[in-house]
Amino acid sequence: MAISAVARETVFALRRQIAKIEGTLPERLEAPASGAPKAIPGTVRSGFPSGLAEKQIAGDAAGSDATPEITIVRRGLAVASPAFLHTGIERLDTALGGGVPKAALSEIHGLETRDAGAVAGFALSLASLILKQKQGLPVLWIGTAEIFREAGFPYARGLNAFFGIEPEQLLFSEAPKLVDALWIAEEAARMTAFAAVLLEIRGSPRLLDLTATRRLHARAQSAGRPVFLLRQAGQAEPTAAPVRLIVSAAPAASRETLAGALAGSIGRPGFTVDIGKSRTALPGQFTLEWNPDEHAFAERRPEEERATNSVAVVPLSLRGADPAPASGAVLAFPALASPAPILPTGCDQPSRQQRPAHRSPRRAG
Amino acid sequence: MISHRDSNAQRIAALDERAEALKLKRGMGIADARAMHPSIDVVEADPEADRRLLEGLADWCDRYTPLVAIDGEDGLFLDVTGCTHLFGGERAMQDEILTRFFQQGFDVRAGLASTPGAAWAAARFHGDRIVAGGEEAALLSPLPLSALRIAPETRASLESVGLRTAGAVMAAPRAPLARRFGATLLLRLDQALGRLDEAVSPRLPVAPLSVERHLAEPIVLTDDIERLVSRLAVALKADLERRGEGARALALLLFRVDGLVSRIAVGTSRPMREPQLIRKLFHERLTALEQTIDAGFGFDLVRLSVLSVAAFDMLQGDLAGETSDDDADIALFADRVRARLGEAAVLKPVVVDSHLPERAVATVPFAEAPQRRRPPKPDRTAPPMTIFPPERPVRLFRSPEPIEVPATEIPEGPPMNFRWRRALYRVARAEGPERIAAEWWRQLPGEEEAPTRDYYRIEDSEGRRYWLYRQGLYSSASQAAPRWFMHGVFA
Repeated sequence: MAISAVARETVFALRRQIAKIEGTLPERLEAPASGAPKAIPGTVRSGFPSGLAEKQIAGDAAGSDATPEITIVRRGLAVASPAFLHTGIERLDTALGGGVPKAALSEIHGLETRDAGAVAGFALSLASLILKQKQGLPVLWIGTAEIFREAGFPYARGLNAFFGIEPEQLLFSEAPKLVDALWIAEEAARMTAFAAVLLEIRGSPRLLDLTATRRLHARAQSAGRPVFLLRQAGQAEPTAAPVRLIVSAAPAASRETLAGALAGSIGRPGFTVDIGKSRTALPGQFTLEWNPDEHAFAERRPEEERATNSVAVVPLSLRGADPAPASGAVLAFPALASPAPILPTGCDQPSRQQRPAHRSPRRAG
Repeated sequence: MISHRDSNAQRIAALDERAEALKLKRGMGIADARAMHPSIDVVEADPEADRRLLEGLADWCDRYTPLVAIDGEDGLFLDVTGCTHLFGGERAMQDEILTRFFQQGFDVRAGLASTPGAAWAAARFHGDRIVAGGEEAALLSPLPLSALRIAPETRASLESVGLRTAGAVMAAPRAPLARRFGATLLLRLDQALGRLDEAVSPRLPVAPLSVERHLAEPIVLTDDIERLVSRLAVALKADLERRGEGARALALLLFRVDGLVSRIAVGTSRPMREPQLIRKLFHERLTALEQTIDAGFGFDLVRLSVLSVAAFDMLQGDLAGETSDDDADIALFADRVRARLGEAAVLKPVVVDSHLPERAVATVPFAEAPQRRRPPKPDRTAPPMTIFPPERPVRLFRSPEPIEVPATEIPEGPPMNFRWRRALYRVARAEGPERIAAEWWRQLPGEEEAPTRDYYRIEDSEGRRYWLYRQGLYSSASQAAPRWFMHGVFA
């Protein structure tokens, strides 16, 4: 035993201190369930130059327990679980490191404008989950005049029926220009009176750059309220949002009757969710089903999906590379101490497009 | 010299002193004038511009009194009751007004009297005179009949019977005058002499409360204006508190040194009296108007007026000194957005009892929407809901977009594929139809009945769900062929 337990505590305390200064987001706090993807083998991921020493620490800890245990390094503050909105899908929560962050900017992308229904639906179902805890708070939906014209204006009756959001709880803001929409969003993001703020943007405007998203993110963090940035037909760009989800529509479930599923009917809406970016760097694709009666998600396993549905679950991406595999390289810390490949991906370097988004100079390790 | 067209001939409408010296007169034909003096300079009259100029002057006169009325084409009434002491008395005030107008390049005549009629006569026939109370008769007696503000026909008929001055009319017996020349003559006479009240109707509503500050050194910077606004708002707060009211609409008047007046109004969703909140609202408004407000050489008078008030409900703050009133926060947020981006920037849906989808939800500006109430608790005594409402999309297009439907499996059924925005969609599943007829009770008598719509929920081969409808039926041969529209998108 080269290093005592006291020394280890000191190291952890120091590390927490560093994480606090850096403002790093918390990682997973619990060990992933056994069914979770084995993304973290029994090695230590470390962002510090002294990674080798930490591996020793971990080895010692594991050795003393004498069980081959997964060692999880807690980087960042030990923030309690209320920081995350649990989607109710364990696999998705694990992959996102606890859920969708509650006090942050989250990007929800749709690859095409015609996905606007699914993207808005997914964001609203998250808002609906938030409203379960904060009843009666209003939801603000900001959009440019362009997106409301192209993708349709939110329809309060439908929102009420699907997501249980009362018309009185809804506020819409239609800005003539993107600058105005961003200003409204920034002002709204700092308020605690809204349960959630949705900002909907079409395309990849230059105004919505790293600085703009960072401002939104900082305000959302300090207010403790989520801001969902819905981007229709947008490219993956550098962003300050810790999470980017790519949502497309999935075939709806059939309606359930007493006699079983009703063939040819359109029941609960389905969403295909790809994790485009997350700090925990676990790629994944999930097919979720929204239950409008209970306001909860359910997961559809791909194998069941294939058995019942003949159509393709995932539409092919129209714009070049599929974002999902690229995110395999999204690792905040280069694997200094790990001899084995951490992620199931062949490329070691982030692609040129992805690189600036995920590498901030201070945290490059 | 300015000409205008009067009964098919160009006549002189107005002329300057040099033209008057040439013995030209108003109403003279331009052709005659040119024959007399070929070198005269004639400009076409522009009544619109004259009107705008007069409005601008009226705005400027707001600095003396809030009660400013426009009189005809070339006059302004200022009701200065209770305002004169602010400018050092009647004489000093009139001198200041005349001096300021002169410096701006206007030739102005003024009269000040206890009645509008006497003041009008004093201004038109003396130029710079102050009539003390009770001297109206003495002022009017020697003046010609046109000093009485009566119609030209009445004046002509009075002159035809030998009554040529106002004094002669005053001396004449009243009853025959009224019988022969109508009540207007006596009304005007009584009003001028102060026997009857005459109200000057101001062109702008008078603010219940306003505070202002005259500045020795004109200000130019937006920051300075905002600082001044918050100081004025502090003064306003005391008045509002005394009245137990809050402001619902505020206006900021910026009087520029050279006479231009900028008027900036903001509205609030709920009564407000906090100076820093008022300052925030004006901050947004000034930011939005930054391009349009031209400070020029600066503003030398800033006035903050409360245009409308409402009862103010006091709120008990918590011990931390902050009231955690979410509704108030949202109202303030909406007001700020509104101040910057206009009334329609924050919208609220209001459910309307209608089965036409586009009419079933109205979006109204935040300020006009009914106040938000907490969702009511579920009523346990209500009978259970057995009829489920029909499914509605999450997004609705403002105007339904036409789509091309080449074929349907059965004539009245859903489409097999369709083309929307130049892309082809293959229908995988469909639910429907849900038939929605037009609201005949809204139809005007002569109007043709709108065709019924059959709505279908459609899922395409990629899993996206849409709401389509067919307008019209296939059966009737007389009608045009049915058309298909895309109306909404489901989650």
